[in-house]
Amino acid sequence: MVLNQYYQTTRGNRMKRNFLSISVAGAVMALSSLTVLSAGSVASASTLTSVKFVYDFPGPDMELIPVVVAAREGFFKKNGLKVSVEFPPSTSSTTQLLTTGSGDIGFITTSDMAVAVEAKAPILSVANYSMTNNWGLFAKPGSTLTLASLKGKKIFSWGDTWTNAMIPFVLKKAHLKASDVTIVTGANDTPLLMNGTIDFTTSTTNYSIPGITEATKSAPVGIVGSAAGVPNVPIWVYAVTHNYANQHGKNVKKFLAAIKAATIWASAHRAKAVADFIAAYPKSGYSKFYSTKGWDLTVPLLTNKAGKYFVQTNAQWTTLATALKGINLIKSIPAPSTYYTNKFIP
Amino acid sequence: MTKKKLLVNIFGPILSVVVLISIWQSIVTWGHVASYIAPKPFDAVRSVTSNWSTLAPLTWWTIKETVYGYLAGALLGAFLGVILSKIPLMQRVLYPLLILTQAIPIIALAPPLVMILGFGVMPKVVIVAWIVFFPVTVSVLDGLNHVDKDLLTLAKVFGANPLRRFVVLEMPAAVTQLFSGLKIGATYAVTGAIIGELAASSGSSLALYQRSASGSLDAAGVYGTTLIMTAIGIVWFLLVVGVEFLATPWQRRSTARRWRRGAKPVLPNN
Repeated sequence: MVLNQYYQTTRGNRMKRNFLSISVAGAVMALSSLTVLSAGSVASASTLTSVKFVYDFPGPDMELIPVVVAAREGFFKKNGLKVSVEFPPSTSSTTQLLTTGSGDIGFITTSDMAVAVEAKAPILSVANYSMTNNWGLFAKPGSTLTLASLKGKKIFSWGDTWTNAMIPFVLKKAHLKASDVTIVTGANDTPLLMNGTIDFTTSTTNYSIPGITEATKSAPVGIVGSAAGVPNVPIWVYAVTHNYANQHGKNVKKFLAAIKAATIWASAHRAKAVADFIAAYPKSGYSKFYSTKGWDLTVPLLTNKAGKYFVQTNAQWTTLATALKGINLIKSIPAPSTYYTNKFIP
Repeated sequence: MTKKKLLVNIFGPILSVVVLISIWQSIVTWGHVASYIAPKPFDAVRSVTSNWSTLAPLTWWTIKETVYGYLAGALLGAFLGVILSKIPLMQRVLYPLLILTQAIPIIALAPPLVMILGFGVMPKVVIVAWIVFFPVTVSVLDGLNHVDKDLLTLAKVFGANPLRRFVVLEMPAAVTQLFSGLKIGATYAVTGAIIGELAASSGSSLALYQRSASGSLDAAGVYGTTLIMTAIGIVWFLLVVGVEFLATPWQRRSTARRWRRGAKPVLPNN
């Protein structure tokens, strides 16, 4: 199959996909200020409170569907908000954009959150996005991928904090040292996976499965979550600065209320939700197949065992912090309350 | 060179760097910029020195990518410049292609190169060479196209063959232009190496170290690696300037040195 085709069809295989090219596109988007999602559903701006939402990646993808739906289906308006979306210039800039006031509410990984607290950045997680760890290793359809088969292999990494944090757990579970494998860090995994330049890639189910399936017409092989040895903690959260939480707590509550309603709606009307995303971002670079499959795989991640959205626990943060300290990504384990609050959850 | 001019040449650049660092320090200090947003300049330097055992091999690796790629690009660029100058048909056919190569965004070129050439030094060398060869080609071509036609005719009349005309007349005439291209290439070379490292690297690299530092909100680490990258570019540029200084003495004096003319140097009496 033509490599170029792989290249085009795999932008969504993150943890962090096609970093360089999307970074440029995202930087352009960020510089050209705000991409207002409303498209006709938002009423007079003067009656609505403006909120700047900063995504975790330099370009839009299907995990943005709750925000897109909230805007296009009127959930933000109903809650008195006018939300604009900004895209960071790199995968690790969202927390910095929040602390400099360039954004109000951010979408970040829990490992970014832990690192931010370690760096004394005044960031607070206000809600979980996903509830479980669906990160893992993936290989071409038909490949053999077990922990026992990792030795001597080339494993792709996106180089982001989350992937950097997870790989040591996999190696530990496989009883391997870092020198037993070759970690290849790059900007796009699927072309490398397809032509055999790498053996395995790292990603989450909702990004990797649609990407590899689209490229190969078959589902990839994977070992995910606890099977891969990684702690079962949520990956993504909504976060704000302490200052914003204190001064604009009402906005945070309204935002989460709108997002919850939008998420429920988007889970029930998946095709329409994907259509909203494509209409909002027709040049996102993702196919309808990719976004549909990705959203289908994302929906089950959004609620906990009790069917609740957003709810964070002491256990998830303690588990994460302990795990990250174990691999020296952070030096200390602060109280869980340092990381989060549930008080804004509707 | 007068003493005053020498002092200006030496202390001018130093002063500008000191002013720049002072502005940086002032903004971060008085603006109460958090350390995870932007570090103080000396924190960035300290980050480099305290992590030098890690950074040294990565820096050396980036230097190798830069130098190999630069030399390959410079040689290719000079060769192409001469060929295009000597064969007009080639110039008409190839010149648009050369422009096309530079219109391709280098970040789009990097991933396919990695797939073809692997994760080692080769894709980085190719990217650097890709960036460097074009200004060198254009400079050489420009230099060779602007040789005094009367001189060439005169040399021909005196029976100089094409090779001799090239060595004695054309090459020296193009050298000044060549160094303009080489200096432009020198400043961009390290950028090419870093883009290559970001596209894909096995193990670690300066670019990936920086990305990792960024992910850890280690702004001092990010700025520190930027300082290293900048230093590589500056040192390489200065080396090219040094070679230019030695290779083009006619830019500073109109006559060859006495020892070049076969005479013993005359030492001043007092």
